[in-house]
Amino acid sequence: MVGALVALLYPIPFERSGQIYYETVGFLVLLNAMLGIGWNIIGGWAGQFDFGPSIFLAIGAYTAALLSIHLGWNAWLALLGAVVVSVALCAALTYPVTRLRGHYFAIATVAMWMIAQPVGATWRFINGSQGLFIPVAPGGSFVHGMLTMEFAGRGKGLGFYYLSLGLFVITLLGARAIERSKLGFYFRAVRDDQDGAEAIGIDSRLYKVIARCLMAAVFAAGGTLYGFWALAVFPDQVLDVNWNILPMMAAVVGGLGRLWGPALGAIVLIPISQIMTTTLGSGPLAGRGIDLIIYGAVIMLIAGWRPNGLLSLPWAAWAARFRGRAPAPVAKG
Amino acid sequence: MAPLLQIERCTKRFGGLVANRDVSLTIEPREIVGLIGPNGAGKTTLFNCISGALHPDEGRIVLNGTDISRARPERVCRLGIARTWQVVRSFGRMTALENVICGALRRTNRIGPARARSLELLAFTGLAGKEDVAAAALTLADKKRLEITRALATGPSLLLLDEAMSGLTPFETTAAVELVRRIHAELDLAICVVEHVMEVVMPLSHRVVVLDHGEKLTEGPPAEVARDERVITAYLGDRYRGRA
Amino acid sequence: MTLFLQAVADGLQMGLLYALVAVGLAIIWGLMEMINFAHGEFMMLGMFGAWGLSVWLGWDPLISMVPIAVVMYGLGVLVYRLLMQRVQRGEVFTQIFATVGLFFFIQNGVVALFTSDYRFVDKSLLTGLSGVNLTVGGIRIGVPLLVGGLIALGLFLMLYLLIDRTDFGLALQATAEDRDAAMLVGIRPQRMYAVAWGLGTALVAVAGVILANFFSVYPQAGLSFTVLAYAIVALGGFGSVLGTLLAALLVGVVQSVTAAYLPPAFKDAFVFGSYILIGLFRPQGLFGRF
Repeated sequence: MVGALVALLYPIPFERSGQIYYETVGFLVLLNAMLGIGWNIIGGWAGQFDFGPSIFLAIGAYTAALLSIHLGWNAWLALLGAVVVSVALCAALTYPVTRLRGHYFAIATVAMWMIAQPVGATWRFINGSQGLFIPVAPGGSFVHGMLTMEFAGRGKGLGFYYLSLGLFVITLLGARAIERSKLGFYFRAVRDDQDGAEAIGIDSRLYKVIARCLMAAVFAAGGTLYGFWALAVFPDQVLDVNWNILPMMAAVVGGLGRLWGPALGAIVLIPISQIMTTTLGSGPLAGRGIDLIIYGAVIMLIAGWRPNGLLSLPWAAWAARFRGRAPAPVAKG
Repeated sequence: MAPLLQIERCTKRFGGLVANRDVSLTIEPREIVGLIGPNGAGKTTLFNCISGALHPDEGRIVLNGTDISRARPERVCRLGIARTWQVVRSFGRMTALENVICGALRRTNRIGPARARSLELLAFTGLAGKEDVAAAALTLADKKRLEITRALATGPSLLLLDEAMSGLTPFETTAAVELVRRIHAELDLAICVVEHVMEVVMPLSHRVVVLDHGEKLTEGPPAEVARDERVITAYLGDRYRGRA
Repeated sequence: MTLFLQAVADGLQMGLLYALVAVGLAIIWGLMEMINFAHGEFMMLGMFGAWGLSVWLGWDPLISMVPIAVVMYGLGVLVYRLLMQRVQRGEVFTQIFATVGLFFFIQNGVVALFTSDYRFVDKSLLTGLSGVNLTVGGIRIGVPLLVGGLIALGLFLMLYLLIDRTDFGLALQATAEDRDAAMLVGIRPQRMYAVAWGLGTALVAVAGVILANFFSVYPQAGLSFTVLAYAIVALGGFGSVLGTLLAALLVGVVQSVTAAYLPPAFKDAFVFGSYILIGLFRPQGLFGRF
């Protein structure tokens, strides 16, 4: 409850003081948390590790951009269109590779991502590496902005923060519903013992496809949001390796397969990158990837020492100890 | 009465090894059939061919008139065959209840009814009270019970038990036999049991089929088969021939 | 036709180098079924090592190959003992994930120390031979690349002999086949794994040293080689050393021929596409035993 209140009120002080930067950080946290939940469906629940989910972010961003530019569709309609296209393509791409298991599947997803890069850079229809630009109508109120994802001038940071918060909540609720449904059970069965699952009537190939398509839907929505925020879609931007890694990292660092894992992970990880950018500023170490070094170290530490993520730490035990100690004087410094 | 399952001349090869050669047998509804034979006779291979984990190279397998020789395992299950495995399997990270729910979801799409049915079955197979234990944490005997419960939840008309008694203490074995008897008595299904323990198979089965070196040696009522010279020779070697 | 043959010739030479890149992965994989996302980063470290020693000490890469191999062997063992040993007991995903962390750590560590600028090995035996060609039946074969390829082949054969003909290699194979049985005959699996990591790392680093003669040296050079190496190992049949060589040659040729006829951006696309096809239709690879 406290969290919800914090999340709702978070950007307001920054809006007052005009520090849009922090709103953007919040936006990125929520976006990656949402993508992390999507990734959790295929990676955490179904146990199939997808290392190239960014292709669906790209498909979503491009579809939405194209619908907006060429057909003048409203952003939300474009989002729906992006989701539909992304899911369709995901089904087509994934069904053939469902025979692969474990590592082989993972490499196939990376291979798909690597094939997508030159395609994105050279495909004329989407303007290749020159990208697409989303036109923004001037003027318009804040409410109008929320309805169309277009904010001319002020209110953009705030608007996109709340947009991402909304989409995050929708994704979270959707994931929760799935977790408790037949899909959730079947996904986990496929993960734990694929042959055993088939023997009790579960079509493992079908459910792997469904799981990946659900992820593709989330990534497409995220891609649309990102596209409208950036107002431009470039191949090396939407296919950037960070979109492959961050959502997955958020999910794992927070707790693989746990509903709130990605949110916790994103809250921990994204600010690291931002803090690095601000403290190093334009000094000698700036742009030297220090944040990624830290990410790498965090990943290795989690993998080696806390593979179940931060949520698996004994919070309850610590809280109990903390409460127990409250009346006693704090002796040591 | 038309047979439930018909295996016609099933042949399965692994490279140069012929695991099943021309094996034919039928299983009638509500029958308990024991499938016995020395190690390497091809019993588990036959089970795998029936359940769809493997496909026969030659021959046919027909379930209730439907040819399932090339069917994938999930389809075979949908058509009414459930199985357990020689090395017990479970969804380790899920609780016992969740495991059975996965099976029950074969018959319903909603979690509520699936859950209710699963709790019923868990009580029936003697796992009441252990619903929320993680499957990986159960004892071997309980894991086997869970596997059977999960298989039953799919509502099969034929249950294949692959060495369900292996690794159990005599006490656990007796309890397991009791369970199989109860399952047969109260649920409307046929059971095919692969077993090494003669004291288990013979009293339990209506009919026994003997495999040896991939071929069907003989079949018949347990008492007959036990006296059959060829069977004795297959198990014990030539020295015991004639000592029935 | 000559264009095609030229492309094939070029591809075979690159293939030899690819074989060296991929074989370390094949060993690690064949032994313990571990995926290493940071494989290409070790290669990149080899490249930087060659460049650094060339610039600061004036050493020819062909010479610095030896100390670099030794150091990287040690690094591989260290990585195994500190990290991989821990995650080996856990889930598959955690193992993959750990190497992803290693990937970020190493690559950006290098970026932090050296920036992402492109560097070059300017003065070496092989760069000195640049432009010297052999012409065989109308096909131009660059001598530097040929020499590099032959060195790679030599190392490859030494490795093959090590694995196939020595007691140690036999122990390695035994552990790959059946770890528990190997323990029963007195082989210590942990030691085998550590050696495999050391060996694999050293080999790919040496490949990097050789490649540094021909390619620019920069921190991001590793990733595409990692994925390429995986495609090769998968094509060749996971764990088969000879299969890796053949698959690498094939990949080199496919890549080269693709580059000759299609825009250069696509040269890897065919390779990855082949990986997916192989995964679908022949998961044991073209030559492998599964």
